[in-house]
Order: sequence, then C-alpha cells, then structure tokens
Amino acid sequence: MNMQPVVLFLLILIPLLYAGLTTVYGLQFFGDFPGLTRFRTPALLITVALHIVYLVVRTIAFDHPPITSVFEIMTVLAASIAIGYTYIEVRTRASATGFFILFLAFAFQTASSVFIRDRFDIPGYLHSVVLGFHVSAALLGYTAISLSAAYGFLYLMLYHEIKSSRFGLIYNRLPNLEMLETMSHRAEVFGFVSLGVAIVIGVIWLPRVFHNFSYWDPKLVGTLVIWCLYAVALGAKRQLGWQGRKTMVITLVAFGFVFLSMTVINLYLSSFHSFH
Amino acid sequence: MNLHSIGISHHTAALEIRERMWLSDDEIRGALPRLKEQKHFAECVLVSTCNRTELYGIAGGDIVDDGGLRRFLIDLKGASPSVGTEHFVSAHAGAAIAHLFRVAAGVESMVIGDVQILGQIKDGFNLARESGTLGPVMNRLMQAALHVGKRVRTETAIAEGAVSVSYAAVELASKIYADLTKKSVLLIGAGETGELTLRHLVGKGIGHVTIANRTRERAEALASAMGGTVIDYDGIVDALRSVDIVVSSVTSPSYIVQPGEVQKVMKQRSNNPLFIIDIGLPRNINPAAAKIENVFLYDIDALSTIVDRNLDRRRGEIPKVTRIIREELVAFLRWQNTLEVGPTIQEFRESLEAIRTQEVMKHVNRFRPEDRDLLELVTRRIVNKILHGPTTVLKQGTESGTHSEEVILRVKALRDLFGIRDNGGADHEG
Repeated sequence: MNMQPVVLFLLILIPLLYAGLTTVYGLQFFGDFPGLTRFRTPALLITVALHIVYLVVRTIAFDHPPITSVFEIMTVLAASIAIGYTYIEVRTRASATGFFILFLAFAFQTASSVFIRDRFDIPGYLHSVVLGFHVSAALLGYTAISLSAAYGFLYLMLYHEIKSSRFGLIYNRLPNLEMLETMSHRAEVFGFVSLGVAIVIGVIWLPRVFHNFSYWDPKLVGTLVIWCLYAVALGAKRQLGWQGRKTMVITLVAFGFVFLSMTVINLYLSSFHSFH
Repeated sequence: MNLHSIGISHHTAALEIRERMWLSDDEIRGALPRLKEQKHFAECVLVSTCNRTELYGIAGGDIVDDGGLRRFLIDLKGASPSVGTEHFVSAHAGAAIAHLFRVAAGVESMVIGDVQILGQIKDGFNLARESGTLGPVMNRLMQAALHVGKRVRTETAIAEGAVSVSYAAVELASKIYADLTKKSVLLIGAGETGELTLRHLVGKGIGHVTIANRTRERAEALASAMGGTVIDYDGIVDALRSVDIVVSSVTSPSYIVQPGEVQKVMKQRSNNPLFIIDIGLPRNINPAAAKIENVFLYDIDALSTIVDRNLDRRRGEIPKVTRIIREELVAFLRWQNTLEVGPTIQEFRESLEAIRTQEVMKHVNRFRPEDRDLLELVTRRIVNKILHGPTTVLKQGTESGTHSEEVILRVKALRDLFGIRDNGGADHEG
C-alpha cells in the first residue's frame, strides 16, 4: 500500500492543527473566550493523536523511524513537547501555560514540515535498537529541557510583574511562582537524567558502529557541555539551596546552549553524528 | 402574574436609614404571615441585609397597595419619621424579577460581585418557607434567583479577585506560593487590618502562625485564638530567617526592619522567597528592601492597586452577567406563561364544552334517535375547531418564550372575553 499521500496529507495538516491549537490557547490567555474552553482539551488530544499517527505512518512508509535528519527529529521533538504538555494539563488542570508550550511544538513542527525530505536509503545501523534508545533518550531529554525553559521563562515574566506591582494579564492568568518553579525544576531533572542516559549509551555504542568516531565530535562535546552545565545548576540548587529567580535565569542560559547545539552544530558543523 | 417588589438599599438610603430598616430573622418570621393576612400578598419573601431590606411578593388581588406596603415596613420597625416612603423603590412584574436576579448576581451590591448576598437570599427563602408564605411561584422565583447567583459566579469573573486590602494580601501570597498550608506567617503588631489579614491566611490553612507585639499579652490572646506562637518583639529580624510571609502593622516613627537586615536574612534562608506585607502607617519596613532578589515587599498602596484592578475587572463582567440574567428571566417568564396558559386552555375548553353539552341536551329531542350520535360528533367538531386557533396561538407564545408579556396579555384577553374565572386559587396559594 502506498502510504506517501497519507504522509503528505498529515505533513500539511499537523502544523495547521498546531497553529489552530496555539491560536485557541492564545485567545484564551490574552482574551476572554469562555466558549472555546470546551473545545480546547479535545482539540489538544486530537492533535497529539494525529501527530502520533503521522509518526507511525511515516515510519512505515519510509521503513525507518523519523530520526535520520534534524527535521525528522524536530517533528518527534514537537510531538514529545505536545505529549509532555498534555500530561501536565491533564494532571494539573492548569491550561494557562498552554499557549507558550504549544507554540514551541508549532515552531518545531512547522520547520520540520517545510524542510523535511523523504528518505528511503538509510544506513543499516539506523535499524539498531540501541540507536533507538540513544535517540529516544536524547529527544526526551531535550523535550524536558525545552519545557523546563518554557516554565522558567514564564516564571521570570510573572516574577517581574509581581515585583513591579503591575498585576496585569500575566499575573491574572499564570499559576503561582512556586508551581512554575517546581514544573521547571522537575522537567530539568528529567531532562538531565535522560540526556545522561543518551550520553552513556552513545559513548559506549557509537565507537563500535562508526569507524570515524571522535570524542571531539561537536554534537557529543556540545551535549556534554550542556549536561555539565545542568549538572552544575542542579548541584548548586541542591547544595546551596538556591531558589527563585537566579535558578530560572540559569535554566534559560542553559537552554540557550541547547538551542545552539540543536541549530549550529546540526546545520553547520559536519559530523559522523548526523546519521545520514 | 402580579409580582411586586419593594425595598430600601444603599442606592436609595444612607446607612443610618438602612440600619433602622434592618430586620432580624424573628422580625421577618413575624412580618411575613401578617402581609398575607392583610391581603397584601398571597405569597411573599423578605430579604434583609446590612445594605438592603427588600420584599418580594405575588399580590393577592389585581391591585398592589404600594404605599400601604411601604407604610407597613416603616411601621413594622417603628421607623417613622426618620424613614419615609420616599426611601423605598418598587418594581413590578418583569422589572421586579430582573431586580431580584440582579441582586442575586451581586451587581446591585455595594461591592460588586459580593458573594454573601446569595446566602442572605437563601436565608430569606428559608424564612418564607418556615413562615408558610412561600407558594409555587415565589418558590420557583427564589430558586431561579439562586440559580442566577450560582451561574454568574461560575460562568463569569464577577466574584473573582480580592476586593479588600486584607484579602488582596492573601491573593498575592497565593500567586507566590503554591500551598499556603506548608508556609508560615509572622504577624508584627496586632492591629485591626493585620489581624484581619492573619484571619484570612488562617482561613486558607496557613501552616504556622507566629506573633510579635509590643504588648505581649495582646499577642498571646491573639495567638491563642489563631493557634499560633508568640515571640519577643525584639526577635523580629531573627524570625525572618524561618518564616515565608510577614504581615507588619505596627505604629512606629521609624522603620523596624532595614534592607541590610533583610539582605543578611536572605543569605541565611538560602534566598528562599520572602513575602512581606507592610500595612503600617507610617511604613514599618524600609521600601529599599523590595529591590532584594526574591523579596516581595508590598505596602498598602500596592495592595489597593490590586483591589482597584479587581473591582475594574468585576465591573467589566457586568455585560456577561446581564446576558445571564436576561436568559434566566426569559426562562422564568416562559415557565410562568406555561403556568398560566395550560389552565386557561383547559378552562376555555371546559367552558365551551359546558355550553355545547347544555345546548345539545336542550335540543336533543328535536333530532331522531339515529341522528343523535351524529349531533354529538358534529357539535364536538365545531367546539374543537373553535378551540384550535386560540389554543395554537397561546401555545406558540410559550414555546418561543420571546413574547412573554404578549402571552400574558392574550391569556388575560381570552379570560375576559369568555368570562373564564380567575384561577388564582390553585396557582397562587401559599
């Protein structure tokens, strides 16, 4: 069965769904549209479900999981963010942060849909289960770190609004500072552990598969730097008992490095580590 | 439906007048049966709060003695001559229902969105039930009013946000901390606003209360009432190390806490957020402390900003509340029309059937026995055809619910034209 028309249809549909979803959450946050409330969560669940269907169909159609290029990884990252956010919304019933988180998913998915290329000829090692674990752990880590940064950003917005006694829209709609800090911290810990797992698997497995493996590979070095940065930040929080604004600033700085790693290294520095 | 309302409120009378007209539960229990005995109302409910005393009822006859009702209330309290009939306002039919719904929604309250009024209306409802002055119409009307109150509070933000300085402090604390039950508060001074703020925090389940006051006995009395502990007034700065919230309301010519002390304390508490509410006049905490990271220091002006902003937000919700009131008013009038239309159609049918039977009986002997069944059939058909038009028009009015006043007029016209007696007995008795 030729599944490529379905892939193409979903490729166009998914970013449109995220655009609609982001608009709905944005209207809810910035305006007052009580009529949209009942459509919000079902729309989120439908979008996430269709995104999962898209990933499965794409895997079947091209006979490999969508992890062979940066733009394939971006769609998986968008799905991870949306799934992570869905879990948070269902658990906490707090939907005020939806616009900010889902906007990230929309941005990643749009970039992916525009630039992704259909690939059938992939190296044999891409069928490896170990690689699956490696990439999954890395993506989970990056997703969690993205969520952590998004909550850190929201924390800082609310912090400055409260400190400056403005008490505007951000003050009205966002959850409290402590909850945002907790969400950010938990996502950060999860991301740190996941990235750690990805690094360990990679360092053990990659030299066996790639004859041109180098410990100075930009992606490996970049990920290690990020991981060490998070290790320092989490350690400082734990040992020195840091709380509040300072830790959120560190979280955002660390995410800046992540963003650099995701873009500059993947797009501009050649490496054995690109899997294509 | 001869629904009438009469009342005195903060819109029409000053506090000293409203005070004179305030009714206790026992006074209401005594007044309601008298209103019924004196034929003012067949059903009635009295609601009395510090801001309003209002009477709602279904008139026993066609005419409402509005002046008599005003004098009844004034005489009930022996409030003449300080209270006059001019202090009251009245409304009738749909306007009276809309007024009750607006009161229940909190838009007529002194503080827009006041939540207490709904409980007070419920009290009035229960007192009328106890007093036997609650008939089917008032019962339905009061339930509709309570429904309006609940709807506006769940579907709009009319009751959201603190509208007092003391509660604004609690609202702000809830924007900083996730769970107040795990937090602790230090109250410096035992002034009225400080104590009120502490009461709100205790109401929210604050984890631990510490009180410091120049007069230790006063602090101990308050701590005993709130379930807290007392520290020496000199130990305030040391206490800042371990508490999360500070409420300060002492009268002091100079600042009692300086930024340097707060800075030092913040290091000792690992930069853990510290929320300070300074409601002292002059201020107790040096405002420069607000610049320190993770220190959230607010004075009475900042808290008043929150209150003003919340009141503006509540005012902005009034169009939504008005829409809900309109919907519920239409629903109530539709029910009311159904109540009137059903019995009217039934009585109209019975009236025509009585005429038909009477005429058939009178003239039946003029017909051959074999034609009598046909006579019965033909006359029944004529009656049904006469009934069909008016019945359909009346029912259409109740189904759409959009011409409620028109339907009432049609019912009245039909009753007048065909001499149908008033069915007030069944529907209007309490």
